[in-house]
Amino acid sequence: MNRAAFVRAVKGGLLGGVGVIYFALVGMIERLDTLSIVGSVELSWLLILGPPFIAAYVLARPRVEAGEMRSASASRALWSGGIVGLVSWGLVAIGVGLVQWIGIDTVRSVFRSVSPTLIQILTLHHPVWPGILYLAPIVVLGALAGGALPLLPRRVRRPIITASGVVLLLGLLQQLVPPALDQLHIQRNWLYSNVTLGLSWIGAIVAFAVTFAITWFLQDRSLRDLVAGGPGARDRPGAEARVRTVLLVGWLALGAVLLAMPYLVGPVVARDLGFVGIYLLLGLGLNIVVGYAGLLDLGYVAFFSVGAYTTAVLTGGQLNTYKGLAAPILGAHLNFFLAIPIVVLVAALIGVAIGAPVLRLRGDYLAIVTLGFGEIARVIFGSTWAKNLFGGSAGMTHITDAAIGGYSFRTELHFYYLALGFCALAAFVSWRLQGSRIGRAWNAMREDEQVAEAMGISTIRYKLLAFAMGGAVGSLGGALFAVSIGSLTIASFTIFVSITALAIIILGGMGSIPGVVVGALILIGLPGVLTPLQDYQLLIYGAVLIVIMILRPQGLVPNVRRSRELHEEEVQQDAWMRPVEEGEVPVARGIEA
Amino acid sequence: MTTSETADGTGVVPSRELGRLEQLPIRRIVLTILTIGLVVIVGGGILKTLTLSGAEHLGWAFWANLVVIGLALGAVYALIALGYTLVYGILRMINFAHGEVFMTGAFVSFFFAQAYAASGFLNRSPWLSIAILLVVSMAVSTGVALLLERICYRPLRNAPRLVPLITAIGASLFLQNTFQGFFGAEPRGYPRPDVLSGTISIGPVSFDKMDPVVFATALIGMFVLNRFVQRTKTGRAMRAVSEDREIASLMGIDVDRTVVVTFVLGGLLAGIAAVLYAMTFGQVSATMGFLPGIAAFTAAVLGGIGSIPGAALGGLVLGVSESVGPYLLLSGVHVPSPFELRAVITFSILVLVLIFRPGGILGTGEAEKV
Amino acid sequence: MQQRTLAAMIGLVVTAMVGVACSSGSSSAPGGGGAADCNTPPGCVTVDAGAPIEIGTLLATTGATKNLGLDSLYGVELAVDYLDGTFDGTDGQLDGHPIKLVNETDGCSADGGQKGEQPLGSDPQMVGVIGTSCSSASLGVADKFFSDKGITIISPSATNPALTSEGTHQPYWFRTAHNDRIQAAVASDFAYQKQGWKTAVTIHDESPYTQGLTDGFKANFEAQGGQVLSEEAVNSGDTDFKALLTKIAQNPPDVIYAPDFNPVCALLVKQMADTSGLENTTYMGADGCSDPTFLSIGGPAANGSFLSGPDLTSFTGGDFYKNDFLPAYKQLAGSNPISVFHAHAFDAMNIMMNAIKQVAVVNSDGSLTIQRSALRDAVQNTNGYQGVIGTLTCTPLGDCATSVTIGVYEVPNVGFKDPNAKPVFTETKTLADVQ
Repeated sequence: MNRAAFVRAVKGGLLGGVGVIYFALVGMIERLDTLSIVGSVELSWLLILGPPFIAAYVLARPRVEAGEMRSASASRALWSGGIVGLVSWGLVAIGVGLVQWIGIDTVRSVFRSVSPTLIQILTLHHPVWPGILYLAPIVVLGALAGGALPLLPRRVRRPIITASGVVLLLGLLQQLVPPALDQLHIQRNWLYSNVTLGLSWIGAIVAFAVTFAITWFLQDRSLRDLVAGGPGARDRPGAEARVRTVLLVGWLALGAVLLAMPYLVGPVVARDLGFVGIYLLLGLGLNIVVGYAGLLDLGYVAFFSVGAYTTAVLTGGQLNTYKGLAAPILGAHLNFFLAIPIVVLVAALIGVAIGAPVLRLRGDYLAIVTLGFGEIARVIFGSTWAKNLFGGSAGMTHITDAAIGGYSFRTELHFYYLALGFCALAAFVSWRLQGSRIGRAWNAMREDEQVAEAMGISTIRYKLLAFAMGGAVGSLGGALFAVSIGSLTIASFTIFVSITALAIIILGGMGSIPGVVVGALILIGLPGVLTPLQDYQLLIYGAVLIVIMILRPQGLVPNVRRSRELHEEEVQQDAWMRPVEEGEVPVARGIEA
Repeated sequence: MTTSETADGTGVVPSRELGRLEQLPIRRIVLTILTIGLVVIVGGGILKTLTLSGAEHLGWAFWANLVVIGLALGAVYALIALGYTLVYGILRMINFAHGEVFMTGAFVSFFFAQAYAASGFLNRSPWLSIAILLVVSMAVSTGVALLLERICYRPLRNAPRLVPLITAIGASLFLQNTFQGFFGAEPRGYPRPDVLSGTISIGPVSFDKMDPVVFATALIGMFVLNRFVQRTKTGRAMRAVSEDREIASLMGIDVDRTVVVTFVLGGLLAGIAAVLYAMTFGQVSATMGFLPGIAAFTAAVLGGIGSIPGAALGGLVLGVSESVGPYLLLSGVHVPSPFELRAVITFSILVLVLIFRPGGILGTGEAEKV
Repeated sequence: MQQRTLAAMIGLVVTAMVGVACSSGSSSAPGGGGAADCNTPPGCVTVDAGAPIEIGTLLATTGATKNLGLDSLYGVELAVDYLDGTFDGTDGQLDGHPIKLVNETDGCSADGGQKGEQPLGSDPQMVGVIGTSCSSASLGVADKFFSDKGITIISPSATNPALTSEGTHQPYWFRTAHNDRIQAAVASDFAYQKQGWKTAVTIHDESPYTQGLTDGFKANFEAQGGQVLSEEAVNSGDTDFKALLTKIAQNPPDVIYAPDFNPVCALLVKQMADTSGLENTTYMGADGCSDPTFLSIGGPAANGSFLSGPDLTSFTGGDFYKNDFLPAYKQLAGSNPISVFHAHAFDAMNIMMNAIKQVAVVNSDGSLTIQRSALRDAVQNTNGYQGVIGTLTCTPLGDCATSVTIGVYEVPNVGFKDPNAKPVFTETKTLADVQ
């Protein structure tokens, strides 16, 4: 291989090694060693092999050289992979050696996560020498796999990646899937091992094979075709109706599953899903403000806290004082469902009040001012000044449960339904807004404010509307939060709530409702079922924001329109490089049609 | 339906009639009401406070002390705000992770400071050890700033404004938690050489020995930076890139290099601020950059973002308003514990300044639409 | 020992009665003390023969307060070790069943408590829980959650008064930790009576724990004739208190009572030294300040300030504590105690295990049936139990440490630096003595 490729491979290896060392220093390798994915392979191995694998993969991918797209030759890819693996391992070995030489206690006084357990993991539970040597072939193999992957034809590569992803997911969901299968009385001891709690080897192989087969089969076929009755059936008459029926059945099935969910997965997961529901409401509301109207709101927690405290005050919440409970100076004992319209109205008014001063501000200024509003809300709710209304630092308690008649929504199962109802309502409202005149006005405003004004759209009105509606939905989340625990303290209303809501819609896709759902499930649901990850929640959020914005700013489940907005230039520039699909006639790409 | 004439007077064009409501100059009305309200609230509050009598009376020494405290705090904000304003001027982008750039410098220099204090070197040669600490802190902060630029911001230079902003927030979270994972979440005590410990009193007004050091550094930093940007070739390049990036590159300016220089300057200033802050307050922690970062950004916006004197002025104004504001406005009306309402006062000032002067105090006075 | 014999006798009688009831074919004995009534909610736990008895812990073992949680966890583990009568590193057994500890973290917050309580509460085999470390994780969160499920929970270190007040107390929640009303009263006695201070200013941060203490201090201090000049509040993330201290210096008090967490405590005491006008004002904090950060950030300014907390030297299990417990702790943790509630956790676990032994019905097949409400009642009826920290008698409102000894230490002679440090003032009070 030529010199340039060699240098690139070494650089890749160094980056890979740095990645592994990073995971080690921040403590993730040791922490995730308690979670087994398949057999006795722990999640920490994903972190040890991941960086070299990714580095080798990126190096072996087709690249633009001398003006054309060239794929790497097999020998080059494999040699790169090997060098990456070797260099990564070398860096880790040097690190371990340094730790041994300086003395682990001295190192530990600075880098808290360097512990004997970490060294043990890296040396495969052998003494450091020759344990560290045993690590080498594993890392090299991992890197080689990464290098070999792009060599495979696309038809084989895609199913492999998907199948591996499914196996990984099943392994990660080990606290979720087995109890669910138990509830459904499905035998699952062959799939999940009782000893390691992760997937068993047999289970992993079966899952891999099944997913591989399904993905392979679906590869060249469009789902729509299949449903309509065969290849090319899409365009035949009567197909539309058939597709529509299947879609309808699909929606009904989804609805049924959602309704039956608590009985399928058990109370713990139902409680987690309820919590996901609260954040989903926040995400949907922020989606209106950021996703539809394009106003970057970093203080969304203000609406969350307004919703929670208003609900508390209106449904008989009591103040926690030194001498016991006391009633707030302004309060009521309304039924939760009677209080909701008032809460929503109050939040909408506050939304208008927040929006009014910031109408003329640009994105960056808007961000900092809204951030300020979030903080102001928190300070006011916790202040000594408002102690007789909101309880100050001690907060409020004894918030009456949401109930209709005698049916209380406090228990996990019932709360799930309450959350589900509110989320469905919010999703419905968002969906209708998206397709309405208001939604179109927001689109125009977001893409170019001056042109929108020139076309007669009153940006003032629509911005205020965005804040009001977004605030209303967010306050629903706050109301749910208040009745889910029954007590409130301002410690729950920090800026991290705003950032989490932002991360949800960024990950899922701004402006896309299914995207928000996916985002909430991943960012809130997953840490709920993966306890070792909870310590690193914010770290992962930060990394997710960075990676998504650089690689895929339209999110995981993008809104088609936003996707185009974000990628317009790229789409035009890179069009010449994309391989021509079969059946497509290459067209001179000028102005995108 | 009313009609209006076309430009050449030959035709008639029907135009939409403006309803009564839309004819009202809403903006002006709201602004007038707001101004009147402000004058009443603020003026009334201040009046009541200054007319407190007897045991509650707050003398001029009290206010003088608060102003001094505010200036000291404001000087730290100013140093950090200079970094924000530089990057914004060039890239039109708020580097939310600048607070973390500040934190990393402080944290790494902590390990050196701890060692020097333990060995006594800190007190034997205080100026030398401070110099070393500053160098370490500046190096780390600049390194982190450069990494940020290279990894997070350069790929997104042409993206819609929202994208790098969110990336910056992500980077801020990432850095905070990385340092927490590396070094632990609890705060660490940062030593100060004896020669800088203690207070100086001039009459009833007293201040910490660090305060004049910080204040002087902020002023010098502002002047040096301003001169750099106004007089040197690189400074000229920075101004050109901030006006129009594409034309500047057409004129032969290496945009990438200019951006790198900007981040380096911001990092250097943050590194200096880091050591000064750590010594003043005596502590570092992984989350120490977050609140000062927001405060500094507020200061930069307050003073007019993109303007170097504006950042310094904004910092000082913010510091003083945070110290003096709550007591000046709320003591008279007997609001309990005004101290915890500082954030409310600060952000209210920000909002008001942005309503009446959208570009900030030293800004142009017009709302920028682009 | 008497207590144990009595409990054993009761257990035998109960077993006998159950045996009679079962063999005569009826499913549940008619009323009265005796057989386990598993039909009324919250029902019973049945532990199979040889299977472990599950007891959960919900302690602050992660994050900035992890010393507090880990310290208590060591106390719990030592209690399980001591079940066989010696600290030998091997756990004892309860009625022939081993004890299995299921550990979760309470994150020292309401959110953390909510997360951590889920896996414990939804486990049908969970008999009891030792937790939470922090008041914020219990208040309205864990106390209600576990009471709704009928799981008895005993806290070793949650001290907020509201947790055991009329109207807010939850039926299944108990604590061996002191009630902060007592700590506040001792602090005010120290201030007014011992030091002769007449004026004070209180500063609390945003947590319920600190507000409970400052409210209590004010009530007791003013009842004795002292004057609280003002009650101030700060945010827990603040670092610059100079403006606040300057304002306080306008009318300087004899003492600033700021029972907050670090680094707020440390920064306050440091900046006090630099504020002119406060030269004659002393700083006083509580157990929230009591960790090494106070000294490392506070520096020389911290010397001469006072910190209140449990008086470790007054444990009536004094010899046992010094000669048996502490060495075993060192063996387990690898260091001296890292916080001050380990003995409270030890006693809490013992009360729990004694109550289980009292009410557990041993069935003929070797399994155990434990009626949840009976367990709760047994804990509540704990009377005159000789724990390490003192004599424990539980009350219907949940306080088991009714007679508490709080000590006030003068920095740098503090308990978290040296377990043998003697407080400069110590007082034993009961809830009846305080405001």
